[in-house]
Amino acid sequence: MADTNPQGRGRDGISARILGGGTDPDPRFTLANERTFLAWIRTSLAMLAGGVAAEAFMADFFGPELRKTVSVLLLALALLIGGGSFFRWLNIERAMRHKTPLPLPWIAPLLAVGAALVAVIMVAFVLARPN
Amino acid sequence: MAAPQHLPGHGDAGLQPERTDLAWGRTTLSMLVAAAIFLRWLPHHGWFVGALVAAAIITATSINLTRQRRLHRAIHGINQESMPPDVTSTASVAASVVILALLGIYTVLFLPLNP
Repeated sequence: MADTNPQGRGRDGISARILGGGTDPDPRFTLANERTFLAWIRTSLAMLAGGVAAEAFMADFFGPELRKTVSVLLLALALLIGGGSFFRWLNIERAMRHKTPLPLPWIAPLLAVGAALVAVIMVAFVLARPN
Repeated sequence: MAAPQHLPGHGDAGLQPERTDLAWGRTTLSMLVAAAIFLRWLPHHGWFVGALVAAAIITATSINLTRQRRLHRAIHGINQESMPPDVTSTASVAASVVILALLGIYTVLFLPLNP
């Protein structure tokens, strides 16, 4: 575990290599970064739940192909945001350790585009659905 | 969480340790909600979905069992003005979500649908 030495020295090699040197920033920044990471993880979990719900709860309204498409889209979005949130967390941590500017979030436009795409597909099919 | 122990104090008026602990708690709840929604797949996709439910519950439980440790670590870090980032926790949670999403995609694409 990484907390054997609170001073940050003598940490196990893998963790140190992942972080790429530098010095520990203000612990408040590290904690804020952790909370932001968790907010992204919860966003990813919401997409995951949405993907499951899209397939399980829409059987009365939409055909199997549309349900499958929307579900896989949402699950893929959950996958990319979930995985991407770790790399965002890591890149921020590295930037803070080296006192360089924080990187821009590429998962933010990904979330916006993905969510909009799913919404457009749903609206189109709701409008096209025969009553 | 574990039985309340005597928590060391800290001088952070921004209450960072508590807020971070609560963020982990919300993540546990979200994970349990995901597990509950996976249950909806059981009648459609069969026993394989049990693995998804179990994986989500195991992740939620693991997060909750390690909360006390992370809270103490954060308070200690604030008091020491230095804290190494928790790579293990973030990497594990992100890996769990990625695995859940992959299993979900596999379920949708390759498991037969029983009406």
